[in-house]
This record gives sequence, C-alpha cells and structure tokens, in this order.
Amino acid sequence: MNLPLSKYWRIFRVSLIERMVYRGDFLLGTLFRFLPMVTTILLWHAIYAGSGKTELGSTAQYNLDQMVSYLLLVHISRMFSSMPGLAGGIARSIRDGSLKKYLLQPIDMLGYLLTYRLAHKTAYIVTAALPYGILFFLCSGYFHLGHLDAVTVLAYIVSLLLAFVLGFYFESCIGCLGFWILEVTSLLYVVNTLNFFVSGHMFPLDLLSPFWATLLKSLPFSYLAYFPAAVFLGQVRGEALIWGLAVEVAWCVTFFILSRTLYRIGLHRYSAFGG
Amino acid sequence: MLALMRYVRLILALARYGLARELAFRGNFLAKIFVEVLWLFILLIFYRTIFTQTSVVADWSESEYLFFVGCYFALEGLIETLFLSNCSEFSELVRSGDLDFFLIRPIDEQFLITCRAIDWSTAPNVLMGLGVMVTALVQLDQPIGIVQVALFLLLFVSGLLLAYSFLVMLTSTAVWFVRNQSLLEMWWLFTSLMRYPKEIFTGPLGGPIYWFFTFLVPVMLVINVPARTMVKVFEPWFAVYIVMATAIMLWVSRRVFRFALNSYRSASS
Repeated sequence: MNLPLSKYWRIFRVSLIERMVYRGDFLLGTLFRFLPMVTTILLWHAIYAGSGKTELGSTAQYNLDQMVSYLLLVHISRMFSSMPGLAGGIARSIRDGSLKKYLLQPIDMLGYLLTYRLAHKTAYIVTAALPYGILFFLCSGYFHLGHLDAVTVLAYIVSLLLAFVLGFYFESCIGCLGFWILEVTSLLYVVNTLNFFVSGHMFPLDLLSPFWATLLKSLPFSYLAYFPAAVFLGQVRGEALIWGLAVEVAWCVTFFILSRTLYRIGLHRYSAFGG
Repeated sequence: MLALMRYVRLILALARYGLARELAFRGNFLAKIFVEVLWLFILLIFYRTIFTQTSVVADWSESEYLFFVGCYFALEGLIETLFLSNCSEFSELVRSGDLDFFLIRPIDEQFLITCRAIDWSTAPNVLMGLGVMVTALVQLDQPIGIVQVALFLLLFVSGLLLAYSFLVMLTSTAVWFVRNQSLLEMWWLFTSLMRYPKEIFTGPLGGPIYWFFTFLVPVMLVINVPARTMVKVFEPWFAVYIVMATAIMLWVSRRVFRFALNSYRSASS
C-alpha cells in the first residue's frame, strides 16, 4: 500500500476512529431526532383520514403506507447526502489561512475532505444502524416489499452512493465560493432551507402540481432526498429509472468539474492570511 | 414598583444594544431574516399542497389551520427572539466557568441568563405570524368579539410563559450535563409537539402521547388552547387549566433553576 492511495486510506482510518469516540452522544442525539417523526406520521394519518381518499398525489399516487415509508426513507437518503460543516469548513480554511496546509503538503484538499467525509459517513451509518433498525422495525407495518427485485435494490444502492457524491461536490462548490465572498454561512442558511423543500425532504415532490413536480425533479436537489426514496418504493421504474440514474451521474460529474474549477481559479485569488 | 421599572429599563437597554450589535453586520442580519421569511413561505406552500389533496386535517379547515400555523410562528418567534439564544449559551457559560460573572452581578440571575440578549433576526417572525393569523381570520369571515380577542391574548401570553418555563427547566439541566447540543434537540422535540393540532394525536400511539403531553407535561396546550379559542371553540376548562399550569410550571421552573445554580461548581481558576 505504498501507492498514493495509501495516504487516503490512513486519513480514512484516523477519521473513523475520531468519529467513534462520541458514539454515546451520537446514539442519544439520533434517538431525539426520531421522536418528531412520530408526530409527522400522526399528521399524515390525519391528512389521509380527512381526505377520505386512499391515495394522494398528482404525478404519482401514494397510499398512507407508501407516504410514511417515503418519509422514513428520505432520512436514509439524507444520511448519505447531507454534509454538515463541509462548506463552512472550506470557507473557514480560506478565511483564516489554514488552507495553506493543503498547499504545502502533497495532498489535494478536496481529495482529503472526500476521504474524511467517507470515514465520517461510514461511522455514522454503522452507529445509526441500531437506532434506525429499531425505528424501521417499529414501522415495519408500513413497508410493503413485494415489489422489490434485485434491479430495484441495486438501483437504490447506486442512487444512495451517487447522492453521497452529489452532496459532497455540491457543498464543496458552496465552500469554494469562500474564495470570493469569504463568509458563506448566510448563503448556506438559505441553500439549506430551500433544499429542505425542493429536495423532497418534507413530502414527495409528486404531490405538487405536474409543472412544479417535473421542474423540481429535474434539479440536482431532488437526487439528495426524493429520488433514492422513490426508487426504493418502486415509483421510478424501467426507462425512467435508467434515465434518472443517468441524470444523477450527470449532476455528479457537473458538480465535480465545477468544484475543481472553482478551487483552481480560487487558488489564484488566495492570499494565505494568518500565521 | 421601582424594582420592576429597573428591569423594564434594563430590557430596553439590552434591546437597544442587541439591535446595534445586529446592525453592525447588516448583511448577515438581512440574510437571517430572509431565511425566516423563506421558512414561513415553505411552511405555507407545504400546507397549501396538503389542502389541495384534502379539505380538512383533523377537523381543521384550511383557514383554521392557517391561523394555527400563524399562531405557532408568532409564538415560536417570540421565544426565539427573547429566550432561545440566551438559553442555548448557558451550557457554554457553565463549561467555561463564565457563569461566575453573571452570578456576581446585582440582578436576578434567571433574568440575566435567560433574557439578556434579544435576537432581532427572529423578531419579524412575530409580525409574519400575526399577518398569517389576520389573513386566516379574513378568509374565515366570522364575527370576532372583543372578549374573544382578550381571551386569545391572555391564553397566548399564558402559552408563551408555559413554553418559557419548559425552556428554563431544559436549560437548567446544563449544570449537570454540560452539553450544548441536547438543549436544542430537546427543544426541537418540544416544538414538534406544539406545532400540530391536538386532534391528530389519536390511536394507540397518538392517544398516550396526547395524555402525557397534555396533562403531565402540558406542552401540547401552548398553541392549541389560544388557537382553538380564536377560530374554533372556547373551552373554559382548558383555559383555566393552561393558566393554572403556567403559574405552577413558572414556579417549578424557578425552583429547578435555583436548585441547578446551587449545584454549580465554578470551572474557572
């Protein structure tokens, strides 16, 4: 393992160990986060009861079980695609001058951060497996897995992995804007708030009118939450599934190129403040 | 009376100082306000989308529900403006030992710790919530009496103080746990119980939650009672109950806070 990859393997290991130190706090925090899910499930029960219908939606129909499953599955999507602290961290490195440590060492900043994030996500997913396992077991009555075949499961896994890549490079782009605007926190607030809605975290985008549903589904944000969950539920199949995955790959490539370009151009502007 | 006036003057001075501090970073201040506007906008789109699929949610029509959302937004805005940021900083004061500097000042500790800074960026939420409530009332087009408005205001203030007492108790736990994150997460849990009509809490899962968070830890009443009084029915039993619960919880939270301070061991040298 004396290849260039070995240094990234070491970063992965150290980051994984660091993350596992606070597993108690993490478990407690995850449990707290689940409790609002209960109120959301009860709200949707009331919505379906009030409507008197068994299915709701415009571009696709969801029954109550599918709706609750969807709302649980977007948590899995976001587990892969959310990158807390990434953009803010990059902007801080630019602002306080600590970015120069990447320039002085034979290491690429985005490569380092990707490996670091990969380790954190691995630790997060391993630790979250228990509370999420309990939650999904308690809600197993809502899940109907009859439609699941090998292709759907494979497509779901691929869509989640791509959601991780897309989430990483999207946030990296925002972080790299720090070369020009220094403080990206405010921008990040706005983007995260918007993302909560347009990614389909609140409810399936299929509930919106056909125009808005089609528009939002074509944006990169939908691949961070909506798309993987819809794939798992069998709402995206056949040609639409292949097309959806292809578009997700295209968004990943776009943000990869954009982040690398912004980083390269940004470095020319960089002044390395700080001691 | 003199002491009360002293506190009023202090609040005004702190409010002026807070506003001056926020306006020193105008861009950031405007961005924070923009996020709050965006959040309300998203919330309204969410409920508009829901009501395109159904005409009622747990016996609440769209306009009635809109009023509920406005009431929640205004009350949550008041809590965030007046208390939340102060309370969330408490664990850091305990951890660093800076709490010592608050305890030696000749003023009530609970006032100083929970009310010292006003977060002006969330203050417009109160006005936005009010705007949503007025819009809902216009849509409802029902006659509104002075007594009804007075009762609503009384119950709204009662709900605010009840929520404040829960926040104080959660804040007090920082003396023992010294952890910043848990307070905001617990508060998030509490608000998730406040922000929906109590009628959704039915069935084998919702029923016990309703009873627990209405009669043992009455957080579910905070928005439900004032909002129901204004747009649905006035329930005297619940009104008396929330006022009494507020008085008791304010007293309990005060005792818990003082007990927590007695357990505080300074961390500084």
